[in-house]
Amino acid sequence: MTAITAGRRRAAAHAGKRTTDWRARYFNWFCAGVLLVFAAIWVIPLLWALDTSLKPDAVIAAQPTSWWSGAWTLHAYQLLFNLGNIQTWYLNSFIIALLSAVFAVVACSMAGFAIARTRFTGRRVIYGLIAAGLLIPPQVLIVPMFNEFNFAHLLNTYWVQVLPAVAVPIAVVIFVAFFNGIPDELAQAARVDGASWWRIYRRIYMPLSKPAISAVFIFTFVWKWNDFLWPLLTLTNTRIMTLPVGLSQVSSAFGIMYAEIMASAVLGALPLIVVFLLFQRQIVEGIATTGIK
Amino acid sequence: MSIQTIPVYADERATGTTGATKRRDESRSGWGLTAPFLIFYVLFLVGPTVYGIVMSFFNSSLEHSGLGGFAGPDNYTQALTSSDFWQSMWHTVLFTLMTTPPLVAIALLLAIFTDRLARGRWFFRLIFFAPYVVPSAAMALIWTWLYTPQIGLWDSWLSAVGISNPPNWLADPSWAMASVALATVWWTLGFNFVLYLAGLQEIPRNLYEAAAVDGASRWHQMRRITIPLLNRTTALVLVLQIIASLKIFDQIFLMTSGGPNYSTRPLLEYVYDIGFTDFRTGYAAAASMLYFLLILAVSLVWFFVSRHQQKGA
Amino acid sequence: MSTEGHAVSRRTVLRGAGLLGLGGLLSGCGSAFASGVAGIGPPKNTLSYWNLFGGGDGAHMVAMQQVYQKQHPNEVLDAVTLAWGNPYYTKLSLATLGSRPPDVGISHLSRASILADAGLLEPLNETELAPYGLIGRNFTPAAWQKAHMNGTLYAVPLDTHPFVLYYNTDICKKAGLLNADGSLKSLDSPEALTAALVAAKKVTGAYGAVASINNDAATQWRFFSTLYYQLGGSVLADNGQKIVLDDAKAEKVLSLIRDLAVKQGLMPTSVDYPGAITTFATGKAGFFFEGEWEVATFQTTKTPFNMTAFPNLYGGRYAVQADSHSFVLPKDPARTDARRALIFGFIRSMLNQSSTWAQGGHIPAWLPYQDSAAYGKLKPESNYKWAADYARYDDPGWYSGSGSDFENIMGFAIGAVSAGQMSPAAAISDMRSKLAQYANTTPPV
Repeated sequence: MTAITAGRRRAAAHAGKRTTDWRARYFNWFCAGVLLVFAAIWVIPLLWALDTSLKPDAVIAAQPTSWWSGAWTLHAYQLLFNLGNIQTWYLNSFIIALLSAVFAVVACSMAGFAIARTRFTGRRVIYGLIAAGLLIPPQVLIVPMFNEFNFAHLLNTYWVQVLPAVAVPIAVVIFVAFFNGIPDELAQAARVDGASWWRIYRRIYMPLSKPAISAVFIFTFVWKWNDFLWPLLTLTNTRIMTLPVGLSQVSSAFGIMYAEIMASAVLGALPLIVVFLLFQRQIVEGIATTGIK
Repeated sequence: MSIQTIPVYADERATGTTGATKRRDESRSGWGLTAPFLIFYVLFLVGPTVYGIVMSFFNSSLEHSGLGGFAGPDNYTQALTSSDFWQSMWHTVLFTLMTTPPLVAIALLLAIFTDRLARGRWFFRLIFFAPYVVPSAAMALIWTWLYTPQIGLWDSWLSAVGISNPPNWLADPSWAMASVALATVWWTLGFNFVLYLAGLQEIPRNLYEAAAVDGASRWHQMRRITIPLLNRTTALVLVLQIIASLKIFDQIFLMTSGGPNYSTRPLLEYVYDIGFTDFRTGYAAAASMLYFLLILAVSLVWFFVSRHQQKGA
Repeated sequence: MSTEGHAVSRRTVLRGAGLLGLGGLLSGCGSAFASGVAGIGPPKNTLSYWNLFGGGDGAHMVAMQQVYQKQHPNEVLDAVTLAWGNPYYTKLSLATLGSRPPDVGISHLSRASILADAGLLEPLNETELAPYGLIGRNFTPAAWQKAHMNGTLYAVPLDTHPFVLYYNTDICKKAGLLNADGSLKSLDSPEALTAALVAAKKVTGAYGAVASINNDAATQWRFFSTLYYQLGGSVLADNGQKIVLDDAKAEKVLSLIRDLAVKQGLMPTSVDYPGAITTFATGKAGFFFEGEWEVATFQTTKTPFNMTAFPNLYGGRYAVQADSHSFVLPKDPARTDARRALIFGFIRSMLNQSSTWAQGGHIPAWLPYQDSAAYGKLKPESNYKWAADYARYDDPGWYSGSGSDFENIMGFAIGAVSAGQMSPAAAISDMRSKLAQYANTTPPV
């Protein structure tokens, strides 16, 4: 009896699987189709910007909305590089983002390690205070921070950008969570051997924390590279500006020279897209791990 | 990684130390490691917060040093009775309401579909996420060009399908906010998409297989398995999205300058105008604090909801 | 163990050397990095100059800058154009507060007074300016006077740009509005203006006149205030702390505007700036009310037009809304006398090229050119040059000036009347209530 019902069930499952297979494949094609439509839409703005940037201004004036141009040219990019500002902005953005990311990783991982692994007095209170800082968005502090940096004569320097980017509560939370995942025995064994906490941090925990380090590094780098409001307020000299602030000046000077405007947009978009292409896995993993934590 | 490779230094050898000295040493190291972060934290997060609160009770001005005359609660009363303040807060809230549903729903849909694919996931991830790393200034330039009347790409497409007199997307008060919202969806969807993809990968495959054996259709599986198991991710996406939208400044400043006629100006731009164009930093600090309360309220709501969820789960 | 220790130190040395090398490379990348790190100033022979001139003005200014650069090959002129209006002044203020302002910048005279009050401008020593010819009698008296705040000079005027009347010569001829010599018959009363618009509308079949309304507070404010000032009214007193709007006079002007646009349909009730230009350029309106800076636009569209000062409608002393572009020196404690000499030389060079600048429609403030025969021959630009002497600037106030909140408040209320959305009485009370919020606030400067 059981054999027959089992057989019948198996047959039913097989039949069901075949129907489901056909339905599954249809569904998969449907998904792919929808995705392709959305992807096509999504890719248009960047492609259109690139397309416009490679056309001569005369062609744009004559046929602004045709994708094809008989006369592709790099003239707009040449003009931008000759003006000289965009290279300076690239450099400024890079230095600021790099310094911010490095300092943030160092300071936040040290603090994260101390909170996770060393039992110092007041550690819970400090962690609570740091976590409370998660609730303070930096945007509400632009007025008092401007005054602070003005008083310290640090406006229009790199430090006005880097210093506020170092103490980011979320980075400490990420490191604490990650370090908590590393077995405590490693630290204890090293302590028995007489290693200092600094050595444990530097030699044991940090090398094991590449995902957290890259998450914090990339997140800080991208944030500082794309930051707009704070540099707009504090980097007003054209030689010190970061790329986003510099770009936002450009359009008023270029008027209706759309090729140049789009060329500057493409140059602005390019660096981090390249970074993303190179570090796709780390970036996506970083977002995923921070999200889940 | 072998522990024996760590060199042992004479002064570190803990011979004959008591437990108390060890703990003191540990405490000192802990504080030492935390100190750099704390210095920056106090100077650039806690300090400005306190300073901002203090400033909000004075008539501080941007180009006079010092706090200025004491204003008491006047800055707050002026903000709370100012139609400009409430309108800009409404604009921020409106923007949040307009962008959050599409940014959550479309990201979820696209992520579910992408998750179904056996191959090519990286391609869609690239297409949808690439805009997210583009700076706001570049995105604003591109979308302003797309929205340009008559010669922009969108208008040319509309006239190709017969709509020859479309509104001026960024200069018409009825359309400006929606236009910026649409551009924002394009720009930031990728982040939610990636979060959802990660959440989807956490769902065990055999759940689907078991359901398929039981005869459940793909839609059924999506409704009964996928979406409920994504609840935690959805909650995260939702709160991150709402808080990010409440901080809106860049796109509106760049694409409409808060116009036309201040009809899109968000709260953060109001603070910028008051503090840095009108030089009234005390009043701007008060408006910032009220803005902070709004964001705090949203964060706390999520915090309690998620705690409740965790307790229930 | 010892090899381990050596290995560590070697790696550290290599790392340190690498960083040093990187640092050297970066510092070789010029002053940007150095100033980024330590706040050092720009190189000595660079002159940084900010302006807010786009479009046709921008093209003229660029031409003038190129002449200067050619004449001074040993100097580098670093010119930056920023968006007109509040954003420009915010950036200028922030840059000055950040101790890295441009050496010289453009400022409307109506805004220079606020910047000066805020301590953001360097006072100009007239004895220092004299060797460059930058003395009072070489400038339009009204502008020179406006450039002084409390008796101290803060700006060097470049031009005056008043509100003017453009008229289509073909249409006006057909409407019988021209004199024998082709100039416009004098319109010296509201009735005369209305009649002229009616006649023009008969010819065009569309409108008599056009002025931009949508998203353009500035034009509406200039239109209203020209007539309001002709009636002798003021809006602000006490540096903006008191509102002295004369309701009767304001009502009179607003009723005229409403009459022309809404009641008699002589002017469009919904048109933006580019639309207004197109309406006049294509002959759909006989008259165009705007500042003088669109002269090149209509020359390009080959519209048959001429320009004259905006009519004096009420028989009193002439007045016209205007502002002036001027050169200011943002405060910079590190500025040396040598740099100041560079700046004054630059300003003089710009003024010497007033003929280029005047082609954009502005009335040059530099009298040696304004009084010259060459300028007199420049038509239609010189038709209204006498208006510069009657220029009425915005009432001073910390929230007033070109592109300011004051102009936005007034202009949008007036625009609502032009569009038929508000009655004159409602507009006046809207103006009063919005201005009151500013007037009652302790000024931040």
